[in-house]
Amino acid sequence: MAVPSQIDSQTNLILRLYVFWRILFALLAIFGALAPWLGYFPVDSTWLKGGLTLALSVAAIFSGVGAVQISRLHHSGRMISLILDYLSFVVCTVVVLNTGEIFLGIDALAETFTSGLPFLGIAIAGYFLGSLDEYFPQKEQTSESSLKIVGQWVMLTGFILFLWRVGAVNGIFYFFGKLAQPLGIISVFGALIFGFAIWGMTQQKIAYALHAKNSDEQIINGWLFLSPNLLGFLVFFAGPLLLSFYFSFTDSDAFNTPNWVGFDNYARILNIRFAWLTAPDQLAREVVDIKIYDEVGRFLIGNGGILFAAADKFFWLALRNTLTFVLFAVPLSVIPALVLSNILNSKLPGMKFYRAIYFMPSIAAVVGISLVWQWLYNATIGYINYFVTVGIGFWNNLFNLAVVDPKIQWVSDEKTALLAVVIIAAWQTMGFNTVLFLAGLQNIPRELYEAATVDGAGAWDKFWRITLPMLAPTTFYVVSTTTIQAMQVFEQVFILMNPPEGPNNSTITLVLYLYRNGFQNFQQGYASAIAWVLFIVIFGLTLVQFQRQRRSSIYEG
Amino acid sequence: MKFEGYRFRRYLNNFIIYFILTIFGLVMLFPFMYMISTSFKIPSDTFRYPPRMLPRDPVTIEIAGYDEPLPLYYVQVDGEKKQYALAKSNIKVGTYAPADNLTATVEEYLTEVKPTGGATNQQKVEVNGKEEKLFDVEVDGQIIPMILISQTTVGEFVDLQNPENKVFQNVRLSEPVENIGAHPENYTEVIELNNMARALTNTALVTILVVIGQLLTSVVGGYAFARLKFPGRDTVFVFYLGTIMIPFVMLIVPLYQLMVLIGWTDRLAALIIPWIFTAYGTFLMRQHFITFPKEIEEAALLDGASRLQILTQVLIPASVPALATLATFTFLYAWNSFIWPLVIINVGNEKNHVLTLALNVLRGRASDTPNLILAGAAIAIIPPLIVFILGQRFFVESVASSGVKG
Repeated sequence: MAVPSQIDSQTNLILRLYVFWRILFALLAIFGALAPWLGYFPVDSTWLKGGLTLALSVAAIFSGVGAVQISRLHHSGRMISLILDYLSFVVCTVVVLNTGEIFLGIDALAETFTSGLPFLGIAIAGYFLGSLDEYFPQKEQTSESSLKIVGQWVMLTGFILFLWRVGAVNGIFYFFGKLAQPLGIISVFGALIFGFAIWGMTQQKIAYALHAKNSDEQIINGWLFLSPNLLGFLVFFAGPLLLSFYFSFTDSDAFNTPNWVGFDNYARILNIRFAWLTAPDQLAREVVDIKIYDEVGRFLIGNGGILFAAADKFFWLALRNTLTFVLFAVPLSVIPALVLSNILNSKLPGMKFYRAIYFMPSIAAVVGISLVWQWLYNATIGYINYFVTVGIGFWNNLFNLAVVDPKIQWVSDEKTALLAVVIIAAWQTMGFNTVLFLAGLQNIPRELYEAATVDGAGAWDKFWRITLPMLAPTTFYVVSTTTIQAMQVFEQVFILMNPPEGPNNSTITLVLYLYRNGFQNFQQGYASAIAWVLFIVIFGLTLVQFQRQRRSSIYEG
Repeated sequence: MKFEGYRFRRYLNNFIIYFILTIFGLVMLFPFMYMISTSFKIPSDTFRYPPRMLPRDPVTIEIAGYDEPLPLYYVQVDGEKKQYALAKSNIKVGTYAPADNLTATVEEYLTEVKPTGGATNQQKVEVNGKEEKLFDVEVDGQIIPMILISQTTVGEFVDLQNPENKVFQNVRLSEPVENIGAHPENYTEVIELNNMARALTNTALVTILVVIGQLLTSVVGGYAFARLKFPGRDTVFVFYLGTIMIPFVMLIVPLYQLMVLIGWTDRLAALIIPWIFTAYGTFLMRQHFITFPKEIEEAALLDGASRLQILTQVLIPASVPALATLATFTFLYAWNSFIWPLVIINVGNEKNHVLTLALNVLRGRASDTPNLILAGAAIAIIPPLIVFILGQRFFVESVASSGVKG
């Protein structure tokens, strides 16, 4: 395999150095893997120690393999070397940033940020000044235009002044001050060495010596480009997702070491009883053990009925409310959207204006919107009851009736509390769905309608036989995203209701219950189990819709 | 004739279309208009029923003999509606009558009437089986002991030209004279009341950093997915796709514990760093880059450009609409997020509150002043609306295309 004749002595030396470096790396990794168990580790968590040991052991093994492969001049040695050095470089850099308290320094930046804003404005103005250049093309193309240069200088000055105003100088001193401790110095040193090792490996001579091919460069570039996103994604998304699954089998409380409890959390959620009632108003304690079960609801059939009781009554109430919410909020935001999009699809002037207006609610913060609606819903001075009163008065006058003004207590009556939330949600998502439908409509080929017109089809026929079937994929997308959103309803109830559970628990939702359990009672294991049940329900609903869409969409290409 | 009918029908059709669209448009806009108008009102105006759209100010007027300007009201004088100024309010007036003739009532200020026989030894009389206290009431210069039948609170209204002319009537039932007038100082007040300035800064900073960070990682990641061939790429991509629909609440517990572990609870970093790496943004950029013609890139490669040069000098300048879309999406998400800040930033640590958290606090703190609450809501809602109006050309189109492709 090896072709020594092509390698000059200098390259040979470097390769030997790399073999040595990989062996040193392996030894350091083995030491690092053992260190936590010898007492050199600040956090007393078996999981963390185990994880660290596992990661470093794997690194040591790979580094050893890498040493062998480099000495054999095999290309996999180069890949292993690059991966290990790159990952170590990233770890060292993160440790440097963390030791220098860059991440925590964002808080300090927030303190001074406002005073720097005018200068940031100058910097941005400079950028625009520079880009103005494109609109005034100069006759001489040889030299850089003065406008561009001025713009760049203004931008640079503005940015430097901005950094000065927000205290970047102090920040830098603080950063280096913090770095001057063993961990900081070691990691700066590490980052430099690893960086140097990577740089060396990417040199052409070394690459040739290790038989690198052109496609290998693409592989390296691919993983390199993907790595920032992928590493962050693994740490902040995939890892937590697995952890969440693990927590759902523990009694984690966020601060102590969690204990494995098996399926206890799920068993508590699913611990339910149905019992026959012999009379509609029979007491729950006569049919179920009320030490364990609470009544959730009863379905009356004639003279008797079925009592539904559960060990965790609130979960089932939350599930009932959430599903009820979905059942009303989804059609209320999808069907009007379908109608509106069909109207907007007519080629009249001004349609873009209406489209933008309909879109506005979905942009605004749910928290702010809920506050606005809270006052609209106010039973005595709110606009909604005022409109109801005016409407009923008009109706009564017109038809000489005596309909009584209901004076609805929107948020404090358990019958209307959930409806109030449904209305807000439908109002807020309708415009977004309209835009989605509109795009779907604009993708339907005109010819279909023209052919139908020739065949003598009316507008109604066209809607049912062309528009709806052709729109099926969009409808699936709209309905499933709206459902997924609706299943997670939280902010509206949290802001609108006081307390958020609403009158008689009428607006307790799954996410709200999850929040209560996880972050007010700190039963985070149980909260994780609720999260997974929520996920299964969402997944099930989406799957059902997907199946239906598959069966119904015969026209899909 | 037939042609005319057709035209008429078309006009009618268009009229109906615009009518329906306008009705829906008003429904969509109304809460915003309510928010803006209420945020400019004075508190008493917000509690008025029936509610009014435009904010109004009570009119006051300087009258000789009074130190402060007096509020103007409409009062009924001799069956005529006139503008009088309210000189004194909260005047308690009692209706008195002699115990033996309850129909002969007299109205008198409560303060002008003294208990019969002195405060410590007030005389009493029995009326209809109940014991009633007696008061000395002066009628035409004579003092007559009477009992108190009822009492009301009235205001003293004075004629503008002739302040000696006084009318007494119930203040709450009188209609004040008002001008249309806005109170922008509500905004400064709410900013001072609730540390909203800091919350606004925090939100802006968090949003800017999340947008920049997410653009960076999504662009390079999306480019790798779209344009570079490497083993494992498609597996990772399928994995990314599969996680897009996973709701955030699934992660909230373990992510919280992760933040506790690395000491980021209560820190702005916790609102920024985890949001920089998203599958969604990467997916969006990949979908965009994959439509880009390969030939340009290959030509650049032949010229010896590196992948990074191609990305920064060829692809990114040509992708401004896609970048603007992702930036807008990210902006809105970061600006409006609530549940994660609620979990991670302590209620007491107001320094690190973002706007949504500040609003949550404000809701309790200013529960009796809707004008301030809605001014706060407007501060949170208006910046995203401005971004939307600026970016809507890109944004609405791409929301649309995300649905069609997705």
